Amino acid sequence: MRTTLLIARDELRLMIRNKVALIAVVLMTLLTLTAVASAWSHQQHAADLRARHQSEAEQAFDAQPDRHPHRVVHYGHFIYRPLSPLAAFDPGVDAFTGSSLFLEGHRQNTANFGDVRQSSMLVRFGQLTPAFILQTVAPLLLIFLGYGVLSRETERGTLRLLLLQGARRSQVVGGKLIALGAVTLLAGLPAMIGFALIAGKPGASALPMMITALGYGAYLALWAIIIVFVSACVRRSRTALIGLIGFWAVTVILLPRVAPDIANAVVPLESRLQTDIAIGRDLRRAGDSHDANDPHFAAFRQSVLDRYGVDRIEDLPVNYKGLQAIEGERLTSELFDQYARRAHAAQLRQNRIVQTAGLFSPAIALRSMSMAAAGTDLAAHQRFLDQAEAYRFDLVQRLNRLQAESVSYANDTASDAGADRRKRIAADHWRQMPQFLYRPASASDLARAALPGLLVLVAWLSLAGLLLTAALRRLGGR
Amino acid sequence: MSLWIYEVGLILRSPVALIATLLLAIFAGAAVLAGLHEVSRQQAAIAAIPAAQAEDNAAVAVRVAESQDAGSAAYYSFHPTWNAPSTLAFAALGMRDVSPHMLRIRALGLEAQIYDGETFNPELALPGRFDFAFVLVFLAPLFVIALFHDLTSGEREAGRLRTLEALPHGGRALWLRRSGLRFIMLWTALGVPFLLGALVSRAPLAGTAAFVVIVAAYLLFWIAVALLVSRLRWSSVANAAALAAIWLVLALVLPTLANVVINRALPVEQGSEIALAQREAVNGAWDIPREDTMRRFYANHPEWDGIAPLPETFHYKWYLAFHQVGDESVADQVQAYRTGLERRDAAARTLGVLLPTVGVQAVLTRLARTDLQAQLAYQNDIRAYHQRLRAFYYSYLFHDRPFAAADFGRAPTFVEGG
Repeated sequence: MRTTLLIARDELRLMIRNKVALIAVVLMTLLTLTAVASAWSHQQHAADLRARHQSEAEQAFDAQPDRHPHRVVHYGHFIYRPLSPLAAFDPGVDAFTGSSLFLEGHRQNTANFGDVRQSSMLVRFGQLTPAFILQTVAPLLLIFLGYGVLSRETERGTLRLLLLQGARRSQVVGGKLIALGAVTLLAGLPAMIGFALIAGKPGASALPMMITALGYGAYLALWAIIIVFVSACVRRSRTALIGLIGFWAVTVILLPRVAPDIANAVVPLESRLQTDIAIGRDLRRAGDSHDANDPHFAAFRQSVLDRYGVDRIEDLPVNYKGLQAIEGERLTSELFDQYARRAHAAQLRQNRIVQTAGLFSPAIALRSMSMAAAGTDLAAHQRFLDQAEAYRFDLVQRLNRLQAESVSYANDTASDAGADRRKRIAADHWRQMPQFLYRPASASDLARAALPGLLVLVAWLSLAGLLLTAALRRLGGR
Repeated sequence: MSLWIYEVGLILRSPVALIATLLLAIFAGAAVLAGLHEVSRQQAAIAAIPAAQAEDNAAVAVRVAESQDAGSAAYYSFHPTWNAPSTLAFAALGMRDVSPHMLRIRALGLEAQIYDGETFNPELALPGRFDFAFVLVFLAPLFVIALFHDLTSGEREAGRLRTLEALPHGGRALWLRRSGLRFIMLWTALGVPFLLGALVSRAPLAGTAAFVVIVAAYLLFWIAVALLVSRLRWSSVANAAALAAIWLVLALVLPTLANVVINRALPVEQGSEIALAQREAVNGAWDIPREDTMRRFYANHPEWDGIAPLPETFHYKWYLAFHQVGDESVADQVQAYRTGLERRDAAARTLGVLLPTVGVQAVLTRLARTDLQAQLAYQNDIRAYHQRLRAFYYSYLFHDRPFAAADFGRAPTFVEGG
């Protein structure tokens, strides 16, 4: 053990003496601190802004005057996707999905005003966040610091010398690993401090954070092992450096871009235009509440009349137009759900293709894991959309029921001068409508979603460990 | 000339250079193919609009047949708009994967429609597309580094440097020959796949030539960086490390940092405010005297004033008027929003003058019409078309003319760039 530590100490001393390495570590630390600060304040700012917009929207909704309930169905409601506290560490797809959603009757709108359409093309270069630094930049820094740990000794013939002096191969490699591991810890420290700060935020839960920390730890350890492995296998430092940079470029830069393109080509998504037209077509088949002769609504009217035992809709104790609106909304919402489920299933298939590519690129595996644990992945956005749709349906149906129960059919169909006044119901009804409360995924759900990515990383780590052990035997043998 | 042939022979015997060139050509080819595939997918989607839309139109015609009410026709009719990819879009897909390239609009309030997005998988969009621009901006510099980091230092380490410099036609001429040859190899590896793609998509000559020149200029920039670093007379391995570090800073660190700075310095928050304010204005019309709305409408559009008075009962001209008044009430915010976006874009462009990575991306997406400006231009097209749609329906509504089945065919159609 003493020999191992001695070798580690020597290696670290050499790194400290290497000015370039020192500057790189300092720059990396500064960059990480900038990323932590900017991601933190961006998260704070975005969360505050959305909370403010949400309360403005709620005030506006509650402040509506006396209205016909159907007017309120069209007035609709705005809701804003809250930002998870861990978005300060890994904002995931937040910038790529709209954050505001307009809910109204008969329509399902898209989430709009996402950052990606409001930013310059710089946003496509990546986002400066602690997660980006650890996923992308930190491995390259480790490569710069570590490519020569063993190849340098091989190149200069000092490795033989070490072994002749009685150091065991495992001690040499162990020492180098410890040295590089220490630097890895140092490099990851600022991001982890930022991470710990986030942990203090309300709503941040321990289990997903632990998995995240484990995942990033495994990822950086993996890189340390890969670097030592490559450095052990080659005879010249230059080969080690070029090979490692190539491996980094392929797994961190290239594959994460190629995999989504393949997924997009294999599983095409239906465009919104096609979906809207298809929904319209299905709706005409299912029943058109605006068409007096529509067979579905003729049957519906008859069933209502039978239920109340009357012959004419004028004799119903409730407003038939409200019932009709309820039935119409039920039909459209069913279709919305059906098409949304189909689109979501296609996107999940796409993601599975990308996750399969994660078997070849630890960066992809880490990215999926990190977003899943932070609650900033597609699943989290879908969760928001699902809850928004459920809330929309509930809100619209409540308003339709108000129309059925609080507006008489006679008034609703009247068109005399005073009819407009009689159709309206009191404003306090709007204040009684429930507010949208987003229920974030539970800690155990987040952890479960992050687990597959973590497993892939652990598999990579074990494989790299095995490879390094195998390389150990041949070390210095040439 | 024979010296060049010897140099070619030397390179052909070096596996690193050959493999690197081949690999770059494969990446460029794959990116061009991926780009062409994406572009043809978008074109097919746009080409499929008329057939899909015809069915929708027929259903609206049936619905309106009885009343012949132009207002109903305006309310129910969707009109497709599209933004076809340019012939160079395959090489730089830009923002086309996250912005809609098709949007259906009605003659109602436009501000509630124009910001709608397209269905896309955000997790796939997050890392960015694998297109030719990506291969050029991100990957090509790494290949330059692989081929140039040991140009002189390799010879020094092999002990041949002094001999080579002392040779006739050695020294500068020699380095120029070797650099030139490597440059041509990389340029070909990138240029040939691109040119084939441009040929397939029938790109115009000027734009294609501009692309090829930018490819050369960008490669030369990185070669210059590599040669500058080599003047420090460091070892090959130190050169490679330094160059990779420069690449990291120019391609990843500074652009992402700049994005944070720009978005912070130029906040754009009007989006949601437009949506909220427009809705308030539109829905509020039901709670104020209809004459107030009409007065505001006629004030801006006197051409429709005094033709036919508003009847006692519901009339669509009032409905469409308050939608338009709603749009006009947020015009200032819309302008501010747009200005904010343009300023962000301009800031990034300015940065592009200093940062070749950003600059090349900006110029390529501009040439390919896939940048934010192109998206805003598409919005301009939509706005112009929407105005024509309004005028079309108003000409029936305000003159109380019936809207017959044949009139559906008279509706203006969308014109790109019009």
